[in-house]
Amino acid sequence: MAKSDDLAQIINGCKAGEAESFQTLVDMYGRRCYGYFYRLTGNRDISDDLLGELFVKLVAKIGSFKGGSFESWLFKTASNVFYDYLRKKQRQKKLLEGREKQLKSELIEAKKSEREQIDKLQVQLERLNAETRELIMLRFYSQLSFKEIAEMRSEPIGTTLSKMHRGLKKLRELMEQ
Amino acid sequence: MNERNEENLKELFEKFVSSEQAERGAEDIRKGEEILREHPAPEPDGEVIAGIKAQIAMELLGRKRRVSKRVVYKVAAVAAAFIILAVVNVKIFEKGGGPGKVVRASVLPAALWDSEDIAADDVDLAILTAEIKEIEEDVLALELGENGGNGHIDMAELEMELMEINGDFWEG
Repeated sequence: MAKSDDLAQIINGCKAGEAESFQTLVDMYGRRCYGYFYRLTGNRDISDDLLGELFVKLVAKIGSFKGGSFESWLFKTASNVFYDYLRKKQRQKKLLEGREKQLKSELIEAKKSEREQIDKLQVQLERLNAETRELIMLRFYSQLSFKEIAEMRSEPIGTTLSKMHRGLKKLRELMEQ
Repeated sequence: MNERNEENLKELFEKFVSSEQAERGAEDIRKGEEILREHPAPEPDGEVIAGIKAQIAMELLGRKRRVSKRVVYKVAAVAAAFIILAVVNVKIFEKGGGPGKVVRASVLPAALWDSEDIAADDVDLAILTAEIKEIEEDVLALELGENGGNGHIDMAELEMELMEINGDFWEG
């Protein structure tokens, strides 16, 4: 109870525009949100940017948090930041289609060097479909219950549970190969 | 990494599948999440965190400035409005030597009073006029004994009808 009271106090501080309260939030959730972004993008630079974007967005949006689970609200915002990034990436991809050939070789090279630095889990995660990957990471880093995740995603809890089960089972198989 | 989501997975699965399948499902999830725990994601650099904190501080400062500017603009706008009102009042007093007389005007347009076309101006009025005209004709017919009826009773009925029409008109 004391923990949630502390969090409520920090959130009130954020709503009042206190920089210290936001800094505390960064210390509390920065690592988890970073892990979430990293596991979804597999890129540290992009994760740095997304983490910054998320917390700056929180400054603007904290007033709209009306209570309930803060983690749920925070990771919903993180999820939106990630999907915004995906959409932007998609737009850029379309713009660059004309120069595809030229860039393709550069991208392959860049990916190769990146891949050398990332762990086995990241490689296998990329073999899962994007939605499943996001769901697994959301559950793991947000530490939310299935009920909360299902509510966040506006789907029945059975659907969330089933997607999660299939995804994690597949990931385990891939890791054991 | 697993503090809050320690719900009873088996129980949750049992809502949808058999107890045996629920056990296996819960186990799959536990083992899958174990893999994630065994492979922690890298952590953000201290510099990145410091940069984000600085970014937040800048953002907050910017917002405070924007709010202050808005307040200043609002105060300035209100002050300007007061000044304009004061100047206008001074001008009026200077010209008239005091507050002007209150002028009352009819809310009905003058054209209505001047108009000859009643039907176009007011439908109710037109109906009343037509009914009065009809009654006038009836009275005239009674007086002349044209309808051959009982003159006194008919006149009384006509008067009643006239009163009723009059009442209806004023009630709207």
